[in-house]
Amino acid sequence: MAFDKIKPPISLSILILFGLILLLLQLLSSATQESSELSAMYSWLLLVNGLGSVVLLGLVGANIYSLARQLKKREAGSRLTTRMVSLFVVLALAPAAIVFYFSMQFLHQGIDSWFNVEIDRAMEDALELSQASLDQRMRWHLRQTEQLSGKLVDVQETLATLEMENLRELSGASEMTLFSRQGRIIASSSINPGDILPSLPDEHTWLQLRQNSEFVALAPVREDELMIRVIVTIKGKEPQYLQALYPVPVRIADLADSVEFAFVRYQEMHFLRHSLKLSFSLALSLVLLMSLLAAIWVAFISIRNIVAPVKALVKGTKAVASGHYDQELPVMAQDDLGFLVESFNEMTHRIARASDETRMAGIEVENQRAYLETILANLTAGVISFDAEHKIRTANQAAYRIFHIPVTQFVGRTLLELVQNYAELAEPLKSIQRLLEQADDIWQQRIAFLGPNGRQELLCRGTPLFSQEGQRVGAVVVFDDVTDLIQAQKNAAWGEVARRLAHEIKNPLTPIQLSAERLQHKLADKLAEGDADMLLRSTTTIVQQVVAMKEMVDDFSEYAKPSKKQTVDIDLPGLVQEVLALYVLKSGVKFKVDYEAGLLMIKGDPVSIRQVLHNLIKNALEAIGDKGLIEISLHRVQKNNTDFIEIALYDDGPGIKDDQIEQIFEPYVTTKARGTGLGLAIVKKIIEEHGGAIWVDASRRPPGAAEVSQSSGSRGDKVGAGFIIQLPACNF
Amino acid sequence: MPVFCHAGAPGAAEGFGVTVKNAEMTLQGDSYALSADIDYRLSARAKEALQNGVPLYWDVHIKTLQHRDYFWDSTLSSTGLRYRIQYHALLNMYRVRNEGDGELYNFSTLSAALDSMAAIRDFRVLERSAYVPGKRYAVGIKVTLDRDALPLPLRPIAYTNPQWYLSSDWTLWPLTK
Repeated sequence: MAFDKIKPPISLSILILFGLILLLLQLLSSATQESSELSAMYSWLLLVNGLGSVVLLGLVGANIYSLARQLKKREAGSRLTTRMVSLFVVLALAPAAIVFYFSMQFLHQGIDSWFNVEIDRAMEDALELSQASLDQRMRWHLRQTEQLSGKLVDVQETLATLEMENLRELSGASEMTLFSRQGRIIASSSINPGDILPSLPDEHTWLQLRQNSEFVALAPVREDELMIRVIVTIKGKEPQYLQALYPVPVRIADLADSVEFAFVRYQEMHFLRHSLKLSFSLALSLVLLMSLLAAIWVAFISIRNIVAPVKALVKGTKAVASGHYDQELPVMAQDDLGFLVESFNEMTHRIARASDETRMAGIEVENQRAYLETILANLTAGVISFDAEHKIRTANQAAYRIFHIPVTQFVGRTLLELVQNYAELAEPLKSIQRLLEQADDIWQQRIAFLGPNGRQELLCRGTPLFSQEGQRVGAVVVFDDVTDLIQAQKNAAWGEVARRLAHEIKNPLTPIQLSAERLQHKLADKLAEGDADMLLRSTTTIVQQVVAMKEMVDDFSEYAKPSKKQTVDIDLPGLVQEVLALYVLKSGVKFKVDYEAGLLMIKGDPVSIRQVLHNLIKNALEAIGDKGLIEISLHRVQKNNTDFIEIALYDDGPGIKDDQIEQIFEPYVTTKARGTGLGLAIVKKIIEEHGGAIWVDASRRPPGAAEVSQSSGSRGDKVGAGFIIQLPACNF
Repeated sequence: MPVFCHAGAPGAAEGFGVTVKNAEMTLQGDSYALSADIDYRLSARAKEALQNGVPLYWDVHIKTLQHRDYFWDSTLSSTGLRYRIQYHALLNMYRVRNEGDGELYNFSTLSAALDSMAAIRDFRVLERSAYVPGKRYAVGIKVTLDRDALPLPLRPIAYTNPQWYLSSDWTLWPLTK
């Protein structure tokens, strides 16, 4: 990050690079001018420019390679970059190539046009003219010197110096020297008195002189001065050589020089024509190559910068499409693309917000639903809802408790399907189904059925559900177990009846009994023996009946008054043994007591419980007569998270008829000839007052047992009856 | 003083290039002087350029080195000669100019002109006082064609065309006195 900050902006680097390239190209172009001081650096500049081109080529190559890789990976924005770069390269390359082609054409034609045959010939002629002119002058000086040499034939050496001075002045030579045959200087004269040593001919000149006896040549004395050197042989006794140096007039020398210079330049240019073309082409190509490569490289960078937001947008869009709404793209520039990126950011924000809200709303709804479900589940009333096709949609825990059917497992099925699995509930389920199908308004019905805990009475209330358009979309049925309520009402009614009856009937009974005893006491002695017997029988009957009636009334009052007088801990097995002790003496009846180890204690009134046991055992004894088996078992059971002590009492008597099972615990229901029909009613009342329950164990009887026992009526059918009592256990 | 023969110039096989044939150092008075014979052989291309008026510049590099055991050799003296050879169309002559003292020599043939450059006689290189007995010294000579002095259009070609690789290698020999 810190590195990014100190990095100069890319545009600045590009500007600097371009400046550098331009400078290099300008230097190269300047160096091409022969006169330029830079020309000495030409080779170096060429090399540097070439290296620059290679570097740029490398940069462009690297960019192309990376673009190709991105394209292969199908990275975002790579195709757009490729298109833009290709377009740019084509657009830049085409005009550059055209300009380059025509520049080359012009260059080559221009250079070729410098040279033609006429100029060639003119140049050669000019040179020849100069040479001819100089040649003529040389020949003239040769003749002059030959004439002069005649005056020096056999001149004495001592006089020679003087003669030389005269001759030199006469001829206009700048220097004149007389050499002996061996090349020794005999005499010398110079226009410049300071020149002590005369100009000496070289070996090559001597050689020519000896061959031709004369020598004439142009001798460049200094860089820009020409001399005509003439040497002739003086033919005397002793051959001598006379050398004369004639200056070429400055004007002629200049002209010759100029012609020569021009000729040489021309000749050189002519010779260098191809090299010139080559070097110009090279420079031009280098300029074009560098500019193009730099432009392409910059194009890569610029296009990458332009495409960067598009790339980011593509990535962002992909991320949003896959559900990541937390996309925040950097806004790089305040242009159209920047605006697009900003809009994208705003869009993702909104989507994220909306999706958050949706999720929150979903959670809210879910919470509400869970809350309602909790309430529904904890209702004591059973609630089952049905859809339009009367299939179960939901059911709460209480429905299971009431029906003893896991209704929630039958979601999506109709009640009729439940009937197949639970035949004992067939009747009530069918009637509910019928009501569901038919009722168009709120309905209410009481339904009774025999559950595992005995007869159960339900109050069903059904409400059909309608949509806002008035279409039937289902129904809700609420069940209330009103068994206990109805029983309590019945008990209360019977209690009231019993109390009044006892009060109204018991009062006249004592006077009736006393009157009958008095009649007996007073009249027994006074009547004849036959009459006295009749009286005794009659009064005995009256007294007996009154006593029976009193017992009956006592029973009633017993039933009517609250039985739970005191509450103590009762050890049930002990109590059972105590009660049974009163019956064991009865011959022909076997008792079998079975209880599990451990504490089997209840809280209750021992007198009432004892009465319950008496009533039930008496009942059984009456059922089996004088011979049979009575089984009593005690054990601990758990029901609805509460411990109960279950007392099961079975006999092997004729059993209970089906039609009696439902009403056997109601007062005045009896099958016996004698009896008030209150025994079992009192039992039930006491048990319920102790918070327990009692029911006939129907499972004990095999199917069809009732019919068999009814039709045969014989004691031999040991079908048996069973009662099950459950009392809340004492918890320590 | 050893007389040195060398024949390792780049274009030797093709018959052109510069070779140092003999080179020796002699003690003259209180300084060492170099005498050498150099064989200049121009390639066809170089001859053609010369004929067309292109001047050729030659540099004769002469150096003396003092050997050091744990370091590179130190250069005691580095001197040289520079010649220019040019064809004069007007006079039909080859002109050799010693760039050091500005002296001009004209030759009617190329070989004579080249021969004039070939012989180096008694060129003072090193003061005698610089020589410390017990140390090791070496003398080197090398002749190069100054390609950067060629006309501009010719330079790229001169750097790439072997016809222009005329320079000799360094010829080194020990200085033992």
